[in-house]
Amino acid sequence: MDLSPREVVATAPRGRKKPWFAYAVLALVLIAGGVVVAKFLTSALDYYCNVDEVGVKDGCDEGRNIRIQGTVEQGSVETNDATTNFIITFNGASMPVELGSEPTGLFQECIPVVVTGKVLRADDGTRYFAGEEVIVKHDNQYDAENEERLDEANAEAAACSRKG
Amino acid sequence: MNHFGPTSTRFTRALGVATILGLGWLAVFGLLLSPDDVVQGSYARLLYIHVPSAWLAYLAFGVTGLASGAYLWPRTRSMQWDRIAGASAEVGVLFMALALVTGSLWGKVTWGTYWTWDSRLTTTAFLFVTYIGYLAVRDLGGSHEQRARRSAVLALLAVLEVPLVHFSVSWWRPLHQAETIERGGLKGLMLFSFFVGMIAFTLLYVWLVMHRQRLMMLNDMIDDSGLDRALAERRNEVAP
Repeated sequence: MDLSPREVVATAPRGRKKPWFAYAVLALVLIAGGVVVAKFLTSALDYYCNVDEVGVKDGCDEGRNIRIQGTVEQGSVETNDATTNFIITFNGASMPVELGSEPTGLFQECIPVVVTGKVLRADDGTRYFAGEEVIVKHDNQYDAENEERLDEANAEAAACSRKG
Repeated sequence: MNHFGPTSTRFTRALGVATILGLGWLAVFGLLLSPDDVVQGSYARLLYIHVPSAWLAYLAFGVTGLASGAYLWPRTRSMQWDRIAGASAEVGVLFMALALVTGSLWGKVTWGTYWTWDSRLTTTAFLFVTYIGYLAVRDLGGSHEQRARRSAVLALLAVLEVPLVHFSVSWWRPLHQAETIERGGLKGLMLFSFFVGMIAFTLLYVWLVMHRQRLMMLNDMIDDSGLDRALAERRNEVAP
């Protein structure tokens, strides 16, 4: 009887991925996970402040990079060649914003927004927000667009205008 | 004799037909019958795909966790649980990818940006990456039992991220909107269209998982039959 070792032909089952591919994916996953966490933590360094918290809450100070939340005041939006100016309000406080880019998305009057930038002082000593990016923050209420709802929307817009 | 039959049965064929009908129904309600939103206009229709796909991803990862627990529990240990866990994770990753893509497109037209490192978006991206890692771990080689054991342990850890993603809109101050359905944010035909999406996507999920886990079983059988054949050949070699 021949007991010598048989010659082994290395074959992988058809259609099965090689383990090295799984190891490569796993390495990419670990890198991607690290990037996601790092980006989140870096982003979290910018405090998230409501307009009425500027200069009041720790971290929402003048001169530091923050994200500020408020509602765009009715009739306050002015667009120039390089900048867009508007006023945002929250809980009775307001802040003029000078945005160095053109707002996109659903940006409009009476809509909640988050602006990234810093609070600075103008030559006359008044505070304003030098914004780099504005992001529209829509709420979780959806309403069908129809005549009845348009009347309600117009009423809400009028109320926003009166508050401003 | 052919051991490797099709992955479909009369039930899955009926389920497939119901899924196609459900998706057609969703297209009709989502694109034609549902009204525009007063603020977002037609963009709000993305909700009928985005939210169901995110919810189905949660469900899929939950099923992966439960099936993994059932595999690790000695009284219920069966390779069938491992295959259900793997199939559900694969389908969950698909749904999560769909939720991320539709969410990103929706973000561009409403927020004004495709992506921001907001708590909901970040935790969702992390969940997505985690389950791609889970699928990679399943492919690391070894016996079926080794694959089942190591991936089950990972699945039980990964599923803990699901509540973190869901409640991230409550625990932090996110750009992403808070819970819509639980807080009555949808009404009338919009709510109905949303539920049509949920039903259609759930049928699709069940259909995909049933076929995928059967395909995994066939793959395992091919592996096992290959081993059996090799043993038989070896025995024949040494037979007098």
